[in-house]
Amino acid sequence: MISTLHQKLVEKELSCVELTNLYLEAAQRDNAALNAYVTLTPDTALAAARATDERLARGESLGLLDGIPMTLKDNISTKGIETTCSSRMLQGYRPIYDAAVWEALQAQGSVLLGKTNMDEFAMGSSSETSVFGGSKNPHSLGHVAGGSSGGAASAVAGHLAAFGLGSDTGGSIRQPASFCGIVGLKPTYGAVSRYGLIAYASSLDQIGPLTFTVEDAAAVFDAISGRDERDSTCSGAKEATLPGLKRDIRGLRIGVAKEYFEGIKGDVRTAMEKAMETYRALGAQIEEFSLPSLRYALPVYYILACAEASSNLGRYDGIRYGYKTSSSYESIHEMVCKTRSEGFGKEVKRRILLGTYVLSSGYYDAYYKKAQNLRGKIVEEMRAAFASYDILLAPTVPMTSFPLNFTGQDPVETYLTDICTVPVNIAGLPGISLPCGFDSQNLPIGLQLIGAPFAEAKLLNAAYAYEQAADMYRPAPFGVQFEGGARA
Amino acid sequence: MKEYELVCGLETHVELSTKTKIFCGCTTAFGGEPNTHCCPVCIGLPGTLPCLNRSVVDYAIRAGLATNCEIAEISKMDRKNYSYPDLPKAYQISQYYMPLCQNGYIPLSNGRKVRILRIHIEEDAGKLIHERGNTYIDYNRGGVPLIEIITEPDIRSIDEAREYVEKLQLIMRHIGVSDCKMQEGSLRCDVNISVRPKGSEKLGTRTEIKNMNSFTFMERAMEYEMERQIDVIEGGGSVVQETLRYNPDEDITESMRSKEDAHDYRYFREPDLVTIHVTPEEVEALRATLPESPIDRQARYVNELGLPEKDASLLVKYKKVADYFEAVIEGGFNAKPAANVILGQVFRRLTTEEAKEAFDILPTPAQLRELLEWLEAGKIRMNLVKSAFEKMLDTGRPAGDFISEDDMGGLDEAALRKLCEDSIAANPKAADDVRAGKEKAVKALVGGVMRAAKGRADAQAAEKLLLELLK
Amino acid sequence: MVTPEEIRQLALLAKLEISEEEIEPLARQMEKIIAFADTINSADVGDTGFDTINGLENVFRADEVLPSLPQEEILKNAESTADGCFVVRKRGAAR
Repeated sequence: MISTLHQKLVEKELSCVELTNLYLEAAQRDNAALNAYVTLTPDTALAAARATDERLARGESLGLLDGIPMTLKDNISTKGIETTCSSRMLQGYRPIYDAAVWEALQAQGSVLLGKTNMDEFAMGSSSETSVFGGSKNPHSLGHVAGGSSGGAASAVAGHLAAFGLGSDTGGSIRQPASFCGIVGLKPTYGAVSRYGLIAYASSLDQIGPLTFTVEDAAAVFDAISGRDERDSTCSGAKEATLPGLKRDIRGLRIGVAKEYFEGIKGDVRTAMEKAMETYRALGAQIEEFSLPSLRYALPVYYILACAEASSNLGRYDGIRYGYKTSSSYESIHEMVCKTRSEGFGKEVKRRILLGTYVLSSGYYDAYYKKAQNLRGKIVEEMRAAFASYDILLAPTVPMTSFPLNFTGQDPVETYLTDICTVPVNIAGLPGISLPCGFDSQNLPIGLQLIGAPFAEAKLLNAAYAYEQAADMYRPAPFGVQFEGGARA
Repeated sequence: MKEYELVCGLETHVELSTKTKIFCGCTTAFGGEPNTHCCPVCIGLPGTLPCLNRSVVDYAIRAGLATNCEIAEISKMDRKNYSYPDLPKAYQISQYYMPLCQNGYIPLSNGRKVRILRIHIEEDAGKLIHERGNTYIDYNRGGVPLIEIITEPDIRSIDEAREYVEKLQLIMRHIGVSDCKMQEGSLRCDVNISVRPKGSEKLGTRTEIKNMNSFTFMERAMEYEMERQIDVIEGGGSVVQETLRYNPDEDITESMRSKEDAHDYRYFREPDLVTIHVTPEEVEALRATLPESPIDRQARYVNELGLPEKDASLLVKYKKVADYFEAVIEGGFNAKPAANVILGQVFRRLTTEEAKEAFDILPTPAQLRELLEWLEAGKIRMNLVKSAFEKMLDTGRPAGDFISEDDMGGLDEAALRKLCEDSIAANPKAADDVRAGKEKAVKALVGGVMRAAKGRADAQAAEKLLLELLK
Repeated sequence: MVTPEEIRQLALLAKLEISEEEIEPLARQMEKIIAFADTINSADVGDTGFDTINGLENVFRADEVLPSLPQEEILKNAESTADGCFVVRKRGAAR
């Protein structure tokens, strides 16, 4: 998709301003149905588009991402542009600095169409905890786009942007990509700078691309990854992923952890088996093995993520930025409590309370400390698997998208949808979701590939090979569509 | 009446004098309009991340070495979570589980030691001003690097507490990690204090006193609190563990915490920062940069150079003064005259603490030494030294500019006798007074001799000779 | 068992205001979530010494001054400022 658009610009089939306006008009038209965007940024977009056109007019060679219309999840800081995390708490908040990834994309000449919807503060799996309501799945408006990067997935799958950046803490890029039938990459922890990403869980968050194709994901990853001295946990990517993307994968060793497949049934199971057949046909070797500590991944994730979140979200008190209560109060303490209770939604408050609980004295050892130790075990086991395998294969989600307003009744039930994605964040590994089929309701099914730390090149290579062989692309009836389909 | 003993430990926060804050590049310079030394990181904007200032680690290690601590090879940063308007992230990045330094001590002059449990690095909070019912917040100070130095409850008297803090100040200034000014807030002490019957081994319940920003306040607070605790116990009650504030207006301690302040800081490893790994080689390299401990230096001045304790402690109090002094007497030169000139003449001119610390005087150590060498060799007298040095302080010119060959050399017996006779002749009334038995009047005659001799005469010898002549 | 009192304590620490009506249902929900978290109790794991995910150490910045942001930028997003400071104004019940 990106290289197609790039060609169109270079060959002057249309100007960048024209291309951008196509997307902006489509967004105006279709966002009501999809609710992908929180904020549209036409002025920013057109200014960037004009700059691209000027470069073209001067005969300069255009970088791959130059002039490409894209989106940023609304937890990525954009200077002067409202950044809300889909929360009342940050409505009206305009950062005074740019996130590192946004700086990188601006340097590439990318055209920002707008900020996309998400679960509030990235806590959720449907985008429905958003104060702006959930984003819809372009393949079925009665189903969710997923979460927490639901808006980003909906925008890309709905052809309202060429690509988007999302964030993934427990599956928030991969799950919506899976639900919406597109590609979503969560890089290795530390490959992409978190500077400017409004934190949910610091030791788990990563920013990554949502795209139509694996090649697009590779291009965007190469542009946004890299060492950033403002993020002490970011060591950058080991190598670019585009150069080796199309290598032959004959002899690729794929590991399938049986714990990942417990309880996987129906259409999803069928799709997984077909995917494995495709890989065998491409010359890969598939072997089953065991990752016993996987069964603890979900509770470990929720304990650690909520603990960190309860701390990261402590700063929202209405004093320096963000929502402030308009009720009366007798003390600063009261003002802060009212502000926070009115500014945060239910799910956010629940997770803050859980996080506070597991860190409080008396519970710290049994929960937080134990979860950290278990995390160590999971990290060890998963990373050790790469001594025998090049990549691991699993479903992204045990199910396809669920209907609107389905979740939220029982919080724990909702957490279970993360069961396949969460271990990857715990171990800090790179993971990608690609479309691998459709269920009987024509809802997309996602295939997840997991790589060794900083081995995105090998991971994307494996993903590309499957993508080309399987071709699971199905256009949704929205947005900007070109001749030959957007996957051309 | 039972006798009670004081048991006290101190928690001291020292502001490090690095150029920039602990987690961002904002300046640590004092003052400035509110919120003008800030950036997204130190006001804790969403999405920002801390980056640890290397110098903070080095300064903290040096502080640890200078107080005889063990330096941890592995140490980590933790979050201390609590909500207060001066803390923009609602957590302070500090070190709880694995601090940088442990198990040190500071020796007291009575032979006892105050053991240091730990020293760790952390960030300072902003400043709150409560006025007219409103709260004003300035984050310039937010993120300024601190070390927190925590002692064991080894202190047994208010004097010991004072000495500990003074020695801590001395050491920190000497190694250049902080200017440690209590009034400016670069040194803050919290006192943990309890009492117990003398001879008892058990620790009593302690209270914590905060907010004492001068030595006087600290001593008064401790005095008041010690008596208050004794009164409570003698009255049959028990001391409640609580945090107190010293109220200087009423000279009392009063409870500080309200019900809204919960004490659970929920410490956990700071996920945005990585481990600090200091090798033994790096520690030794830092140790090599440390100057001689001011405590050892002072002892050396007393024991080896024969200076009185008071002079030694004054010289050592300001590192530049001590360095200058040692440059003057290098190679085993006589210390006392040099000390006298510095502590007398020079200090008279450098009236403020800042001036003494800066010790910015014109004469070089070599120039003062030259002058003192002439004194030592008997070529000139002390009063000539003084007058010449005053001129040297004014002009920065060497001693030779103010003392000629003629001035040098003492007077022989005959010359002295002639000057005495001249003086007697010039002052007949004083001479008569002396002959009449008023020996004090001889001073005027001595003065005459000294003036004529231009400093080459020895006043005592002159006086002796005059008295003889007038018998 | 997560008691209403525990919820109140947690809310105090987390600076959240939970109304009396909300406390019971919230306590029930928290109980379920804690029970879910409790599943790690059956895990047999000692101190794995897990630290940070990539084992990075000694990432520092140099002690060099970088320009701070202007005061207006720092105060830009605040609802209430005065004399260059952030302000929390007293707002009593009788207003």
